[in-house]
Amino acid sequence: MPEVSPALHTAEVVHWIALVVMAIVYTLKIRWLLSFTLAKDRSAPGNPIQSDKKRGARYSFFNVAMPWSMESTRKPKGFIFYLSFVIFHLGVVAGITLAFVSTIAPDFLRNQAVGYPMLAFLIGALLVSIYRVFRRTLRPLMRLISTPDDYFSLVMLTIWFALGTCTQAYLMGIWGMTSEMLLVAYLYLTSFFLLYVPFSKISHYLYYPFTRIYIGRALGQRGSYPVVRG
Amino acid sequence: MMEEQLAKKLNRQVVGSLVGCVHCGMCDESCHYVLAFPDDHKMTPSYKADQLRKLFKANHDWTGKTFPWWVGADKVPLTDDDLETLKDIAFGTCTNCRRCTLSCPMGVDTATLNRIMRGLLSHVGVMPEGVRVVSKDQWELGNQMGVLKEDYVDTLEWMSEELEEDLGHNEAAIPVEKKGAKVMYCINPREVKYDPRTIKEAALIFWAAGEDWTMPEEGWDNTNFGLFSGDDQLGGVCAKREYEKARELGVDKIVISECGHGFRSTRFEGVNWAAESEPVAMETSVLTMLNYIKQGKIKVDPSKNPEPMTFHDSCNNARSGGFYEEPRELLKLVSMDFREMYPNRAENYCCTGGGGAMSMSEYTPRRLESAKIKAEQIRATGAKVVVTSCHNCVDGLNDLIKHYDLGCEVKQLVNLVAKALVIEEPEKIPEEFKPGDLEVTEVAEKEPLAGRKILVVDDEEDVRAFLTMVFEDAGAEVVTATDGDEAIAMAREHKPDLISLDLSMPGKDGVEAFVELRKNPETEEIPVCVVTGHPEFRQVIYDRPVTPPEGYLGKPVDEDKLVAYAHHIIKHRQERAN
Repeated sequence: MPEVSPALHTAEVVHWIALVVMAIVYTLKIRWLLSFTLAKDRSAPGNPIQSDKKRGARYSFFNVAMPWSMESTRKPKGFIFYLSFVIFHLGVVAGITLAFVSTIAPDFLRNQAVGYPMLAFLIGALLVSIYRVFRRTLRPLMRLISTPDDYFSLVMLTIWFALGTCTQAYLMGIWGMTSEMLLVAYLYLTSFFLLYVPFSKISHYLYYPFTRIYIGRALGQRGSYPVVRG
Repeated sequence: MMEEQLAKKLNRQVVGSLVGCVHCGMCDESCHYVLAFPDDHKMTPSYKADQLRKLFKANHDWTGKTFPWWVGADKVPLTDDDLETLKDIAFGTCTNCRRCTLSCPMGVDTATLNRIMRGLLSHVGVMPEGVRVVSKDQWELGNQMGVLKEDYVDTLEWMSEELEEDLGHNEAAIPVEKKGAKVMYCINPREVKYDPRTIKEAALIFWAAGEDWTMPEEGWDNTNFGLFSGDDQLGGVCAKREYEKARELGVDKIVISECGHGFRSTRFEGVNWAAESEPVAMETSVLTMLNYIKQGKIKVDPSKNPEPMTFHDSCNNARSGGFYEEPRELLKLVSMDFREMYPNRAENYCCTGGGGAMSMSEYTPRRLESAKIKAEQIRATGAKVVVTSCHNCVDGLNDLIKHYDLGCEVKQLVNLVAKALVIEEPEKIPEEFKPGDLEVTEVAEKEPLAGRKILVVDDEEDVRAFLTMVFEDAGAEVVTATDGDEAIAMAREHKPDLISLDLSMPGKDGVEAFVELRKNPETEEIPVCVVTGHPEFRQVIYDRPVTPPEGYLGKPVDEDKLVAYAHHIIKHRQERAN
């Protein structure tokens, strides 16, 4: 087993502690959400032919993988945004994978068949996040609906993707990236990220299953989900 | 007070929608207000929902309570200006049509959040005057247009009489308060006040289908302003009135006339507000009529409706009620030339009259501006008739058709089914033929206003000439006036049997003239039928502290309808005087 430097070891420990803290806060957040009463719809199914709560919930939950299901992601402009959403979130998955696997099995990431796709995801997400920073700061509409948390979360992720790209390059020994401090810095940034996320809008993915299933059940019961259009 | 109310309205679904928004802006272009006002970014649905989100974060979210500025949390609005701004957003820039909900990647139900904001504002007494007045009427009189019981019953009798005249027998008379009937038919008060023909048409269809039905004396209003004002308590009370009446009469089901929000409120939300699980079976009259045709209970001839027609989906029937195909199926059965509008069904745009918008005259210019999206949709179909299953949509569409000069009219399915109805008339042999009877009947039918004097008040010469011609053709003597002052003078001089009054006129307008006529002992008893091209003034005149007008018609006026209204109003007044 290769020897780990004290700086990297400390960064790893902090990273795991941050993960535990995040898990605890997330658990508390879900408990908080569940502490609110689940409103029950007492009405009979709306349309005898189409009404199906479970079908509505399933359709709603997998909506994320069905860009054709919503007008906002079906139109050309919206579809491009949807593609950027996919790239962005694949980058998030790659970044999280990098943070954990780099400390447990770095050789796996050094494998070119894994490493280059990881790089591609991270660079793609970096480009999308840079675009999103401009979109949020330059478009009056986006400025109107944005809070400091929205800007900070996005900028933080942009830096995280950039550092992740460099860290992956370091692990693969390419582009002249040779300093272990890249990995150390990446782990510290990830740790901060893990601690900050539960208190920010980035925790939206925690709520996604709830919001989607609730609206899916409600509209499925009425018979208006899955969406019908002609 | 607002914080306490907010706490009461929070449930898991609502909290999910409050915390789920990522401010991605994807809902933006789903809203007809955004499309009509592309430079006003405050029209975007997420901004509107953020108004409630701010309050929620400040009071219920840890980050919002600790670092409010960081996540855009905000305390309860303190000044009257803040409340007015919130009122303008919640009532004046959103019809709760739920179109944005279907475009949100996170499944945030922005329409529900906006309704909650309306509820909070209503709770502290901040709401458009029209909403306040209508809600008050619904609380106190049991229906949203303040229709008195005697007027309601009288209208049903009037329609029964008309049916008897049309059919030559009284078998189709409207059964009122019939215990043990299978169907209880509930309607929108607009039908009593402005469009009683829809009641007659529904009665004709029920009769033709051999239905065992009734209309109740109380609990007949299927509308529910609780949906629009966000007041769940009012919502529950209104819904309960219908359910309790249905149980009292022992009917099998409630059939809800073509009213989008009435259907949604009675059929879905009402059971939740009233906390009653499936109190009685309920269905929309669209389904009832469709089933009658499918089951062979009535026969229809689509050639009776040959005009090109398109269908507008009411938001409450479609997005919130799941009814997309049934109205289209029915429309295709009773008409010859159906043309789909795009987008349609779940993605159809709001008529812009939803969410109680028709009762908020202060927002009319904005509403009509936002209606250009709908107008473009309709224009593209080339249809001459826009069919819809909602009374709010009828008013909203009529307004925008006039505003954008689309040259088409709005009809409901009940109008088309009744027109297409094939009635096999039994052969009748008169007991004794009296030539004089026929003559009298023909004269009465041709000149129902014979011997009556009518004052026509309108500033537009062509409208005056048209109304004069219609009334004179019906046998009336007509005198005219061109403004409010002249109208008052003519009314005092001629003491007409009826005044047909325009509202928007130069000088003394129709509203002022109406109030003066009502306050003057010489003219207070003269019945008035408002004939106006500004339906948005309806509430203005009904809000005056005098007896409301006896009739109200929107321009363009249907000749038959005008004469029928005039005849009914005069007859009714005479009966009362006697």
